[in-house]
Amino acid sequence: MDQLYQHLLNGLLLGATYSLLGIGLTLVFGLMHVVNFAHGEFYTLGAYALFAALAGASVDFFLAIPLAVVLGAAAGALCERVLLRPLRGESIDTVMLVMIGVWIAMQNAELLGWGGVAKSVPTPFSTRPVVLGSVSVSPLRLFVFGVSGFLILGAHLLLARTKLGRAMRATFQDRETAALMGVSIERVHTITFAFGAGLAAAAGALLGPVFLLYPSMGDLASLKAFSVVILGGLGNFVGAALGGLVLGVAEELGAGYISSGYRDAVGFLIIVAVLLLRPSGLFARAERVG
Amino acid sequence: MARVWTGVLVLALALGAAVPASAQPADPIKIGVIQPLSGPVAASGNYVRMGAEIGRDWINARGGVLGRPIQLLIEDNKSDPKEAATAAEKLIVRDKVPILMGAWGSSMTLAAMPKLEEYGVPMVVETSSAASVTKRGNPWVFRISPPSEMEALGLEKYMKDFGVKQADFLAVNTDWGRGSATAFGDLLKRSGASVGATEFMDQAATDMNAQITKIKAGSSDTLFLTTSVEQITLVLKQAQEQRLVRKVITTGGSSSPSQLIKQAGAAAEGTYHLLFFLPWFPEAMPDGKLAKAFVDEWSKRGHPFEGLTEGFRGHDGILTAAEAIKIAGRPDPKAVRDALWRVSIMGVNGPIKFEKDGPAGKESGQSKPSIFIVEIKDGKIALPAFVAKK
Amino acid sequence: MKRLGLLVLLGGAAAAAPAWVWNPYHLHTLIMAGIFAVLALSLNLLLGYTGQLSLGHAAFFGIGAYATGLLTVKLEWSPWLGLGASIAVPGATGWAIGRLALKLRGAYFVLLTISFAGVASLVSVNWMDLTNGPLGLPGVPAIEIALPGLPALSLRAKGAYYYLVLAAVTLCYLVCAALIRSRIGRALIALRENETLAESVGINGTHYLVLAATLSAAMAGLGGGLYAHYTRFVSPEVFLFSYTVTMVIMVVAGGKGTLAGPIVGAVIFTVLPEALRAIASWQWQMLLYGMLLIAVLFFLPRGIVPALQERVK
Repeated sequence: MDQLYQHLLNGLLLGATYSLLGIGLTLVFGLMHVVNFAHGEFYTLGAYALFAALAGASVDFFLAIPLAVVLGAAAGALCERVLLRPLRGESIDTVMLVMIGVWIAMQNAELLGWGGVAKSVPTPFSTRPVVLGSVSVSPLRLFVFGVSGFLILGAHLLLARTKLGRAMRATFQDRETAALMGVSIERVHTITFAFGAGLAAAAGALLGPVFLLYPSMGDLASLKAFSVVILGGLGNFVGAALGGLVLGVAEELGAGYISSGYRDAVGFLIIVAVLLLRPSGLFARAERVG
Repeated sequence: MARVWTGVLVLALALGAAVPASAQPADPIKIGVIQPLSGPVAASGNYVRMGAEIGRDWINARGGVLGRPIQLLIEDNKSDPKEAATAAEKLIVRDKVPILMGAWGSSMTLAAMPKLEEYGVPMVVETSSAASVTKRGNPWVFRISPPSEMEALGLEKYMKDFGVKQADFLAVNTDWGRGSATAFGDLLKRSGASVGATEFMDQAATDMNAQITKIKAGSSDTLFLTTSVEQITLVLKQAQEQRLVRKVITTGGSSSPSQLIKQAGAAAEGTYHLLFFLPWFPEAMPDGKLAKAFVDEWSKRGHPFEGLTEGFRGHDGILTAAEAIKIAGRPDPKAVRDALWRVSIMGVNGPIKFEKDGPAGKESGQSKPSIFIVEIKDGKIALPAFVAKK
Repeated sequence: MKRLGLLVLLGGAAAAAPAWVWNPYHLHTLIMAGIFAVLALSLNLLLGYTGQLSLGHAAFFGIGAYATGLLTVKLEWSPWLGLGASIAVPGATGWAIGRLALKLRGAYFVLLTISFAGVASLVSVNWMDLTNGPLGLPGVPAIEIALPGLPALSLRAKGAYYYLVLAAVTLCYLVCAALIRSRIGRALIALRENETLAESVGINGTHYLVLAATLSAAMAGLGGGLYAHYTRFVSPEVFLFSYTVTMVIMVVAGGKGTLAGPIVGAVIFTVLPEALRAIASWQWQMLLYGMLLIAVLFFLPRGIVPALQERVK
């Protein structure tokens, strides 16, 4: 029984990281319809930015995280402005391929700049685990879980309750009308993409210390993010958050009770099942955006 | 319109000309090197490359081979067997190397092997541990790294000291990890111990908590861990988080204990590691002077100390290749291959001499490298008490 | 007239390639380009003509490679039968996917294909008894042509294998061309442009999608079979996502929805990494590749062949 509790706890913590990865992408993929293969690279950028701030400039840990997020958002804004805006009318496949190019270029630039050796990020947290009955967890992962929840809630509120959020939702629902109502379409696109990239960078800055930093760390992140987005429903924020948790718990239980080798297969099979039985996502009943 | 086609034609001709045009003056002797320089094991591949470069520079400083300097032509196999095969083809056909070194991972090496036979060019295998590399009847393969079975034999004499009654295995889901789990599993059974759980992790996985939870629920006293240093770090940290109490023995030689101490900290305390080089105790190596010189040169170049446990493979591989060319008297692939059987030198790891391995008539060459064990004690690398005694 | 002349010139150059491509390494590159051309043509059937993107196409490639690899290594079948299996088994799989997917379109279809490829990859790594797991299947036999009464002609030699691949590319091209010009092709294009409208005039979307998926998968499987008998080593890496990405690059950058686009894309994006290998050190190769890819799509967003076709007009 203890084993089950630990598995569930592992699954929730893992799932929180998946949620964080998914919510950034659900805006970009779900609303802007950009198949952003470089999503994982903004994640990696956030992680390396944190490392650089801590190792290079000796910034305080709790300050370095927001710094990394801002850098990620800025990079996203730049990418949107320079590459995506001129290609606005083009087919979704062309944009997808440009993002594949960005993915390849960014990852290899990171390899060139930082080298292939994995880096670890020192944190101010103790490594002694927190014991809760029969299960244990490290303070760092509790911190990450908490901040992830906070970020997800904050993003949800921004989309649902603020003027900016309304403008974003309006633009992607009906561009012409939104423009007529005075929304600056260009700015909304840039802000949305930057928002998505910033969330990815946040995930990287938070998860970097939990795991290790290496240039190809974003590949797995991208794949999980796409899975979470579909599980939750395109553009569905709450869905992505919940979908991430579902995926994490399912993978953990599958690895624990079925087979560790086929661990990822559990996730894939769940996705296949959802797609065949409930294609609009597990949580389609929730609000469409946010 | 005509301009566009002229442009295309010129471009095609330029590319076609540029590609073979780099035929350089015949002065340096070229040795091909294929390693994973990008992707999940980029660190290891780069360490091997760095070691190879030291080997090259030392040989050239001593006058080169047959009066000519050696030049390393380095290709990235991107951890993809197709790339490894293409890189081998390019090095053999376009660059006409008389000998290759590579390709780190067993799948990459196995994919390049048909090219060796097709063109008749030998390759020194410096890292791969799959038994099949030397058992496939490819007479152009010469391995200086130990297959997992040989590694397990190296541990055999210490089994009583470890006092293992039941052990679990956690290995990376590649030929290396699986082969190691099998080989050490057989060792356990031979020594009267039993095998508990055998779990795997994907090469790119970062979360091994499920496997650790499962292992924790069992009753083993030891955990054999086979993967590269990054995943070992993560496993140890996650095991610490779950309060897993086991004797941990890592196999495969890619555990880079110095890096583990730095990145896993207290979680690495008390763990044992099977290695093929002891950069902390170079005097304990078969050729202490050479080992020390290698360690000194490595740090002089500013390379990370953690990479030494893998970098020496590149050095020994190039040393072997150069020696074979010298014995052959000319950089001709077939002569070099025949010369490899007559190589008997001292590398950083120890003596390098090839014995026949595999089906009769088509044997590959397998050397018998030295195998060592270290322990992480009080945040430092130490020789376990029972090893130091012997 | 000029166009026909150009085609004849290119066709002749391609047919005579082993004669004037003096370097076996270049010939190797052309053979790989040919195998990828088959793969790109197969993906184009789905992406270019039905508008559905499959990001799991490496799965059909891999299944084809394993089908022929397993049959020829473990059961010692003839490689020709193995090639046949490499077409039939993925084809059947493609049919099953098509039927299962039924109502899935767009992003959902994409994710289904990714998941399928993921599962296939994991099976190939973990099901040791069937596939040998990560160790792979070395020793896949070379293809031989054995006509009764004549000595067996081994296609191990590069020149000979090149012709086999060239024949395969030509066959696939002709199949695609015939399909597009037929009623089926017109139905596919109608579905791509506006599915609801097409359905309203009686075109059964699902039926045609299943057909396209089956053919596409079978063709990709053929590519896998050709790959297996050329490299003579099959391992789980054939399911790598990077193969799918490469195929997508070739189709979209070459020009999706055209017949020449995938072939042009395959040649360019097989030769390009090798050319970069020659001129740039390993640290810069992929970085340059990524930047070139961005540049090509940025300036020729519909692909290379459509851009050239525009110029010709």
